[in-house]
Amino acid sequence: MTFPLALAQSDNAFLANAARKGDRPAFGLLYSRFARMVHGILLARVPRSEVDDLVQDVFLLALRRLDTLRDPCAFGPWLAMIARNRATDYHRRSRETTELSEDCAAQDPRPAEALAVLSTIQKLPEAYRETLVLRLVEGMSGPEIAERTGLTPASVRVNLHRGMKLLREKLEGREAS
Amino acid sequence: MSDDYLWDGSGEPDPEVERLERLLATLRSDRPAPELPENLGLRKRSVLFRHSIQLAVAAAAVVLVIAGWFLLRRERPSWEVVSLEGTPRIGSESISASGRLAVGQWLETDSSSRARISIGIIGEVHVDPNTRIRLLKAGADDHRLALARGKMHAAIWAPPRLFSVETPSAVAVDLGCTYTLEVDEAGISLLHVTSGWVAFETEGRESFVPAGALCKTRPGIGAGTPYREDASEAFRLALTRLDFEERSADGRLVALDAVLAQAEKEDAFTLWHLLSRVRAGERSRVFDRLQVLVPAPPGVTREGVARLDRQMLDRWWDR
Repeated sequence: MTFPLALAQSDNAFLANAARKGDRPAFGLLYSRFARMVHGILLARVPRSEVDDLVQDVFLLALRRLDTLRDPCAFGPWLAMIARNRATDYHRRSRETTELSEDCAAQDPRPAEALAVLSTIQKLPEAYRETLVLRLVEGMSGPEIAERTGLTPASVRVNLHRGMKLLREKLEGREAS
Repeated sequence: MSDDYLWDGSGEPDPEVERLERLLATLRSDRPAPELPENLGLRKRSVLFRHSIQLAVAAAAVVLVIAGWFLLRRERPSWEVVSLEGTPRIGSESISASGRLAVGQWLETDSSSRARISIGIIGEVHVDPNTRIRLLKAGADDHRLALARGKMHAAIWAPPRLFSVETPSAVAVDLGCTYTLEVDEAGISLLHVTSGWVAFETEGRESFVPAGALCKTRPGIGAGTPYREDASEAFRLALTRLDFEERSADGRLVALDAVLAQAEKEDAFTLWHLLSRVRAGERSRVFDRLQVLVPAPPGVTREGVARLDRQMLDRWWDR
């Protein structure tokens, strides 16, 4: 019984083509399908208080650049790359914003422990932190991460395994200190 | 410990991963999709406009002319119809080669004609002889036909739920698939899915029909329980009696027990549908049989299924 997976395989290529022609419902569907991935990629790289706005930036940027998407079947990996580039661009352009965001973190109503664990994940090597955030924060499974981002399932599995091992060590070290 | 749970949530749950999942889920975002700009590609044009007022005026004039042209030519949405054999009719007009089926119009084939309808850019429908079919909607997000009688074959490559077909007793909603749908003179429908999935819906009742499965409907009752195409004759007959014919408690129990006795592992999706269709007193029988064929995942309990807990049913379906 694999109905949800069957739905997950439905046609991003069609949606991307329709969105490229200005079909907003199609773009809305793509958003609902990929918002978690984009949020996770950004959350792994930039201050949490900036992520929601950047997610919207990434989708609007993608909409404007849809005509550069050569292979509509590769929409997910293409969007993931835009999100990673946007995070890099964020750090390149706004040191002040980063400092302000860290100030804002003190007022964040979310559990302090969650923010502390996120901070630990954000200090892990890049490959690990992205897959860990997608898995632990966004609730995506390993196969889903591979399918959405275009990474091979083997890479995702290795990144999850090694990343989790590192995260355990860091968290244990934090508790010990 | 194996990392299966970390990988795809299967296997023995890792307590530390579970704890982090619960903790970090609070960091998810629920912000809706952004408002989109009115005009796509606006950025390139605006650069030109800044440099040339004359160009802007000229462009505006062109837009006005084009808009006027479209207004003058405005027609009801329609789909192309091609005759594959004989002379199908659209309304009162016969078509020998091709024609347009507009919203509200009927396409009719006689015993010697067949036709093909292009469903915009999302797929096509082949119409068999002796079929009467009507175009109800041809919008960007709702493509809808009504099949009054006869037989049609649909191949749809759109995202789920953009295309649907109304029959006298249920609505077939495409979930990305190819399928055949037929309706007889009494309004009884039969759906046969050959790839992907179709949802067969009536008020408050929905059947998910996978590839290789069929589903019947009856006027006044709606969609029956889906079953696989190679199910035994005894299984089909018992299911038909249970879905549409038996009213007495004793008669229903006989039919239900026959269905359960014949069921194999491949019939699990049929039994899953039955969980929410049978009467409350019959549900535990279905639970027991389904538990044998596809054991319920951890956390799915008899009590929860008895009260039709949606999350538990969904988890069992995912199994």
